[in-house]
Amino acid sequence: MLDGVKAMTKGLGVTFKALFEPRDTISYPEKRREYAPRFRGKHMLAKDVDGHELCVGCGLCEAVCPAHAIRVVAASAPEGQPISWTNRYAVDYEVDLIRCIFCGMCEEACPTNAVRLTPFNELAAADRLEMIADKEELLHPPVRK
Amino acid sequence: MIRLTIDGQEVTVPQGTMIVDAAAKLGVDVPIYCYHQALGPLGACRMCLVEVEKMPKLATACTTAVSEGMVVRTSGPAVDKGRRGVLEFLLINHPLDCPVCDKGGECFLQDYTFEYGPGGGRFQEPKIEKVKDGPINPFVLIDQERCVLCQRCVRFMREYVGEEQLLLEGRGVETVVTTVEHEPATSQFTGNVIDLCPVGALLSAPYHHKGRPWNIEREESVCPHCPVGCTSKITAREGHVIRMEGRPIPDREWGWLCDRGRFGYDFGYHPDRLATSIVKGKENTAAQATRQVAEWLKTVVDQEGGRGVGFIIGGGHTTEEAYQLRRFAAEVIGTDQLAISRTEAGYLPRGLNGTFDDVKQADTVVLLGSDPYDTVPVVHLKLRDRLLHYPALRVIGLGPLPLTRDTLPGLDVLVPPGQESLALALAMAAQWPQNSDVQTLVGSLKEFELQGVTAQTLVQLGQYLQGAEHLVLLWDGKEPEMAMVLGVLARLREKPTAVLPTFGPANWRGYEHAGFSPRFEDLTAVLEKARDGEIKILMVFGADLLREYPNRQLVESAFNQVEYLVVEGILPPQGAQHVDALLPGAAWAEVYGTYINMEARLQVAMAGVQPPGQARPIKTYVNTWARMLMKPLNWDEEWDPFDDDSGDLLPFEPVPDHVVALAMPPEAVGPMTLVTGAFIWESGQPSEILVPRVPQFPGRINPAEVKDMGLSTKRGHIMVSQGSESIVVAVTADPQVPKGILWVPQGLFGTNHLIEGTVTISGVTEEVTV
Repeated sequence: MLDGVKAMTKGLGVTFKALFEPRDTISYPEKRREYAPRFRGKHMLAKDVDGHELCVGCGLCEAVCPAHAIRVVAASAPEGQPISWTNRYAVDYEVDLIRCIFCGMCEEACPTNAVRLTPFNELAAADRLEMIADKEELLHPPVRK
Repeated sequence: MIRLTIDGQEVTVPQGTMIVDAAAKLGVDVPIYCYHQALGPLGACRMCLVEVEKMPKLATACTTAVSEGMVVRTSGPAVDKGRRGVLEFLLINHPLDCPVCDKGGECFLQDYTFEYGPGGGRFQEPKIEKVKDGPINPFVLIDQERCVLCQRCVRFMREYVGEEQLLLEGRGVETVVTTVEHEPATSQFTGNVIDLCPVGALLSAPYHHKGRPWNIEREESVCPHCPVGCTSKITAREGHVIRMEGRPIPDREWGWLCDRGRFGYDFGYHPDRLATSIVKGKENTAAQATRQVAEWLKTVVDQEGGRGVGFIIGGGHTTEEAYQLRRFAAEVIGTDQLAISRTEAGYLPRGLNGTFDDVKQADTVVLLGSDPYDTVPVVHLKLRDRLLHYPALRVIGLGPLPLTRDTLPGLDVLVPPGQESLALALAMAAQWPQNSDVQTLVGSLKEFELQGVTAQTLVQLGQYLQGAEHLVLLWDGKEPEMAMVLGVLARLREKPTAVLPTFGPANWRGYEHAGFSPRFEDLTAVLEKARDGEIKILMVFGADLLREYPNRQLVESAFNQVEYLVVEGILPPQGAQHVDALLPGAAWAEVYGTYINMEARLQVAMAGVQPPGQARPIKTYVNTWARMLMKPLNWDEEWDPFDDDSGDLLPFEPVPDHVVALAMPPEAVGPMTLVTGAFIWESGQPSEILVPRVPQFPGRINPAEVKDMGLSTKRGHIMVSQGSESIVVAVTADPQVPKGILWVPQGLFGTNHLIEGTVTISGVTEEVTV
């Protein structure tokens, strides 16, 4: 009997102690956690100061991707209308965000520093197709609310 | 034989071998840019430096011949230092734009720099800027900044092809590869410099920025356009063929392709490509269309038996597809009316057929009406290769037009059109007058005199024919009697005599192997039976008869007469209004199969992509029809075209020794004779990429013939008529062409409206420049 009361007191002691400690969880989405500065979230394609795409469609990210999540189709830019900073550009650039393991190898392989992994990590959709980020989407990275 | 040591391993090689080849025999890789076995040593790039004992300095492995007891080291501090230095120099002005370079990933400059090169350069100065993506011609681009000046391309064009169209310009660091006078290169073989270029300087324009080594798939294939059947590789990406490359085979093929083959791969994506079945002019589902054809077949077979159905195969089908079709025709339909869509009347027995090995040993080459440069370009290159190794190669052109060229010089014997076999027989009669076969051949030609050829020339020709140690004849297949004359010649000579047939369709030998009759007479017989109503349903696979068959009237009347005309193909044929059912077929690169080339060699072509839409291979069609006709075909035992003792060559068959007298030729009546011939730019399937290179004025005529009619410029259109038919032909005035001859590519301009022979020309219009 006495042993039982002792054990219960001990257990409830832990409970009441935790009750007055600071909380580990936060009330998402009203509050958000601070991430490490080099957190790897959704990809983006960067542009240079003149507004030209940095990506030249070389396909190294595609080659290095361990999850085969990237597809790049390159082409020559139409005469007199440069799209990237050189005459080669990516017509299609798709990242399958379901496949992606966010390892950051694409960012590391990119010779023109065009692919960057943003801290944005709110990846959810009702449809699988929406999880394939196309070039237009990657060129306009979302800003966290 | 010479023994030497390379990296501690002993190797024995023939005298005159270069160190780099001896090392390759051991599997030791020596880096090279400028050296190519077909082109020989040059020593321009200095990449292949090796250490040879007792030599004071590093030696270039590609220019140093082996000698007895030589000790070579291909690695070590001295060699590494030498190569590092060479690469540092090569990279001084290299733009390092690998991310945008098509060669990135398959570039020897990348590979060797990674393996032997310095980590960085010491040069701070700005790089020299040169032309980037400048055109050599519509198909080949040059990036002069990336060039390492190995001169492979320049030497290939100048020494190997013999057409000096590329050269080095400028001095020192400003040296660039460019075209002569900065005019586009017009050679038939410019595409090969893309394969030859070890770096990213020469690039394919249609492939520009399209693929990367890691996102393409390569499949071994065979070029489908002409009977040479060059070994090639398909590059496919995402289900599209985007490039063709040569595929060298050790000791047999260098992997050269002509521009027609290298850039003509896009016919499967032609805007007119058939992807839906069309029955009676209406688009239909594949199931309904095949069912409809099966019903027609059933009606005809029930009423007439199998003989009411005729089958004609052509185009680029594989040997296996022809075999499947033949089995369907024989076992399900029960007909033996099987023909190949031929354009020429001649047939070459297998026993006379030579191989390209004969070209490698030839000392005399006779071109019988066939100019290899325009009909089978890579054979021209093979002859050039022989000429380089054996400068005494004797080339004799025998035909209505001069057939030799600057690049393949020789003797031209001009004979009136259609009398090449007579000329050959008369030359043989001059050389072997006592032989009974020859006497039989020329028995009825006592009174005959060959126009424009002296008796002396014939005697000379006969001497050349007998004196040749290894004779190779290229035959255009125009005169059917020629096969008999060639058979007699081969028996008389008792030394190697090889004939290479340059006529199409590309896989006609394969169709023959599969059981179709290769003879032109049988094709004519099938068409005549169709015209006479004996054949009720004509099944045409891959052939465009109205374009290909020399007598258009016969085809038109046959098409009008048959109850049902079923055509399978990849593009709609001419005269589509006659066609009752148009079925889309699978093209080359969409179906695995064997092609048999002009050497009678079997070569396997892999499938690289899927056929579009409803297009399907012949096997699918015949299986469906066989099931619907309640006689399903059993494919348990797979047919293997290779199933024999002769390896990849078709088994040898004895040449028939039946000899009859040659007939006297008809008297020439008119002043102008129409001569047609195969032309590589129009044979095979049409390609969109090739459009800028296809000659706009391919007909050829002597300038004097059209001068009186007011054609002052070099090119123009002329009206050619014969009886009530007339066609308009775009011609170039060519002084090489003898007077009285008009040469027109077969298949273009509706040439088969007219029959070869006397025509009248009128109504010249000058070239209109748009």
